[in-house]
Amino acid sequence: MENHNAECTCWNCPAIDLTGKVDFRSCGQSREVFSQGSIDDSEAHIVAECKRRPKLGLFDPMSVTFAECPEWKLTPYGYLLKDMRVMILGIDGYLGWTLALWLGSLGVKVTGVDNFSRRDWVKERGARTVVPISRMTERLHATKEVLGIDIEFRETDILNQRNLLREFIEEIKPEAIVHYGECPSPAYSMIDLDHATFVQRNNVLGTLGVLFMMRDLAPESSLIKLGTMGEYGTPLTGRPLFEGMFPADAVLHWEDQEWSLGGELTPRDPGSFYHVSKVQDTYNIYEACKYWWLRSYDVMQGVIYGVHTPQVAADPRLRTRLDIDEWFGTVINRFVTQAVIGFPLTLYGAGEQIRGFIGLEDAMQCMTRLIVHPPEPGQYDVVNQMSGFYSVRYLAETVARIASREFNLPVIIQRVENPRVESDIHPFKPIYNKLPARFGFKPKVTLEDEIYRTLELLTQPHVKERIEEKKHLILPRTWWSGLKKQVETLEVIEEIKYEPSSKTH
Amino acid sequence: MAWDSKRTVIIGLDGMPYHLIKDLAEVGVMPHTKTLIKSGVFRQMESSIPEISSVAWSSIITGKNPGQHGIFGFTDIPLHTYRLSFPNFNDLLMPPFWKHKGNGKSVIINVPFTYPAARLDGVLIAGFVALDLRKAVYPTSLLTKLNEIGYRIDVDSNKARQSLDLFLKDLHRTLQARIQAYRYLWDREDWQTFVLVFTGADRLAHFLWEAYEDKHHKYHSAFLDHLHQIDKVIGEINQKINETDSLLMLSDHGFELLEYDVQVNFFLAQEGFLRLKKIPAQSLADIDYGTTAFALEPARIYINLEGKYPRGSVKPENRETIINELEASLMSLEVNGKKVIERICRKEEIYEGPHLYRAPDLVLLSNKGFNLKGGLKATKLFEKDIFTGKHSQKDAFLLINKPIPDIIQENPSVYDIVGIMNKLKKNKC
Repeated sequence: MENHNAECTCWNCPAIDLTGKVDFRSCGQSREVFSQGSIDDSEAHIVAECKRRPKLGLFDPMSVTFAECPEWKLTPYGYLLKDMRVMILGIDGYLGWTLALWLGSLGVKVTGVDNFSRRDWVKERGARTVVPISRMTERLHATKEVLGIDIEFRETDILNQRNLLREFIEEIKPEAIVHYGECPSPAYSMIDLDHATFVQRNNVLGTLGVLFMMRDLAPESSLIKLGTMGEYGTPLTGRPLFEGMFPADAVLHWEDQEWSLGGELTPRDPGSFYHVSKVQDTYNIYEACKYWWLRSYDVMQGVIYGVHTPQVAADPRLRTRLDIDEWFGTVINRFVTQAVIGFPLTLYGAGEQIRGFIGLEDAMQCMTRLIVHPPEPGQYDVVNQMSGFYSVRYLAETVARIASREFNLPVIIQRVENPRVESDIHPFKPIYNKLPARFGFKPKVTLEDEIYRTLELLTQPHVKERIEEKKHLILPRTWWSGLKKQVETLEVIEEIKYEPSSKTH
Repeated sequence: MAWDSKRTVIIGLDGMPYHLIKDLAEVGVMPHTKTLIKSGVFRQMESSIPEISSVAWSSIITGKNPGQHGIFGFTDIPLHTYRLSFPNFNDLLMPPFWKHKGNGKSVIINVPFTYPAARLDGVLIAGFVALDLRKAVYPTSLLTKLNEIGYRIDVDSNKARQSLDLFLKDLHRTLQARIQAYRYLWDREDWQTFVLVFTGADRLAHFLWEAYEDKHHKYHSAFLDHLHQIDKVIGEINQKINETDSLLMLSDHGFELLEYDVQVNFFLAQEGFLRLKKIPAQSLADIDYGTTAFALEPARIYINLEGKYPRGSVKPENRETIINELEASLMSLEVNGKKVIERICRKEEIYEGPHLYRAPDLVLLSNKGFNLKGGLKATKLFEKDIFTGKHSQKDAFLLINKPIPDIIQENPSVYDIVGIMNKLKKNKC
């Protein structure tokens, strides 16, 4: 569905200045576009000016659709605002860098900030990305050279250098802000008090600053903020994991009465102090949209995996990072790494944990679709960004099958002690309809294909060598209880052998 | 200051009906106005069609009809789109009198529909709709002074809807700031034409017309007091002018009690003329195929002609048939046994000029008490809002301080003001 946003109007468009309101019933005017309270002012007209087409003068922002506006051009991901200015917070990270190249190749004017803290955190743990990545200056140079894309970058800490971020936002006037600029690690937040404090402070207060800056400098820009499916936890009752808010017909029965829950935030059950920071972000963003009419999509992303997009694969200098350590590695990526070096694939506990997943390329597609379909003023919405859900055991078996069959790698799967406090066996019923239904998302890359592509990259000798050097960091030593010891093996599952495949990729 | 002869001062009282100012002058609420009525020429005046400030004031300041000056309402719809636009002073296609050759230096304060402020020989502070003071003032160097005195273009309609007390307080502050601005500019500028419009009378009438009619109403005295304050300024100005100066007082339309809002688009949909993609519709973009007619505020009806609008469904040769059907249908509209529509004006009857093609095909005039509305979001045909006053077309007023009986024709209209000003300048008295 390319035209998912065709019927969006200037009301959604960041290039619009909402100048005020006129009420012809009383020959009245107000600079206050948004009024709180219960006064019915539905007959009043909101008056807009287009920053890109000032010749239009003042007009009703709901009377021009994206499909009609010459500033919005049809792309495979929907109508895209010409030269749209998108600022990525955390542009140096696994997702941030990939998205920068992806958007740049669509003609988006990409800007970004980062303070390279992800590089520092990984280094602090003695680890490093197993796929080598370039320094930012070289990344930017190669982007221009290989892809012909200019990216404007500022080294900025969004928490501790708010003045710099403020100046940059003021200068760029971004039309969308993608916020990847947080510490993404549950295990890192559980190391000790200092790390828990750091993660919460960095994430929650960093984001709070961004919200205030958007209020003051870019209220018409949308905030696409990375949350996590982990905010919801895994309720043992099997309650569906709705997309952030209860559906309109949700009802609570209590003391012989029915109470509507429609539109209210669903309960969150975070699983680490990092997850708590994401939940706190959710509330802060929700409130900012309510108080200041900001607009935001809170993206509850499933566990991300993969290494491939056409842009990052275009040149070794454009590759995005891939971490495999217990703090910053994600499960599928780590399994592939383990398979490559003959390290047993490790399941925590029973290994029956079920999670939502999404491949890197599909995540980029989703983000693009969200960026081009901005929320309305004051709209806080949540999407569950995932393309499927699997048990960890199934994933291990899938990696083992492909590694063994396609790459002739012998693979062992083992169960180890679970250092986390979580259910090993639980029901899981995620709802993830919005992105396909409302934004036209169709997953393009299968789990198997992306595992294959990752194996292809990670089996290259220079990458394999880097994995070998850091393999001692794969097994977890960070216990949610506070223990500091390596997990012990519970069970070794026999080597799985598969016949070589005739499948070609 | 060197007084030149033949200066013109215009005091505009937006929305002040002839019969109201006459009554208030007689009962002593507006004594200075009474003095002027006694010594000058005072007439009932017809407003524009439709009787709204944007059209009426554009006609007053240009002396032209909408087919010539191009302003047909507060809203418009550019050809080949369903974009609801809000025309402004940039869209006025005839020059206002202060741009006429030989007019000299002007001070123009709060004339509706003069936003954004454009360069002129003199000073201009635009009036409603003027959302941003920074764009409402020429020259911009005046902004510092205006900010210093807390100048405000208009009352805040959002606040007014929350509380009438807040509205009255806001109205008072707005008036006081306006008075300060006029005093500052009166002495400072060497003008030939000075225009000062008070829009508070219109706002007051929208919200509190009922309070005027009911002597026991909580806000009756507040209603009178505001107009009394304006009258004091009228007296002050009358004292300041020279014998050779002409003073005109006028309004752009009248007012009367509002009994029902009548939603024209709801009626058109009910009768099958208008088809919407969704109900309630959000905007004109929701006009669907099969629509033959739709309305813009307040009661301007456009035939959805093929080739003129994106989903136009009426072939030009069928326009007349649709108009006949509309007229028959609209004239039958009744509430509680009372006919809603007094008259249906075809554009060719009321407008002339090069922009006639852009004009609404029909403009409706209502019978007393019915307020015609052209919004798209209504869910009922008849509604009653918090507003108790509505514009009236035939009951504006014009008052000139010169006792020259033939200076104004017997039935003047808003289109005659520029001509009258010119006559006054040439007059020897």
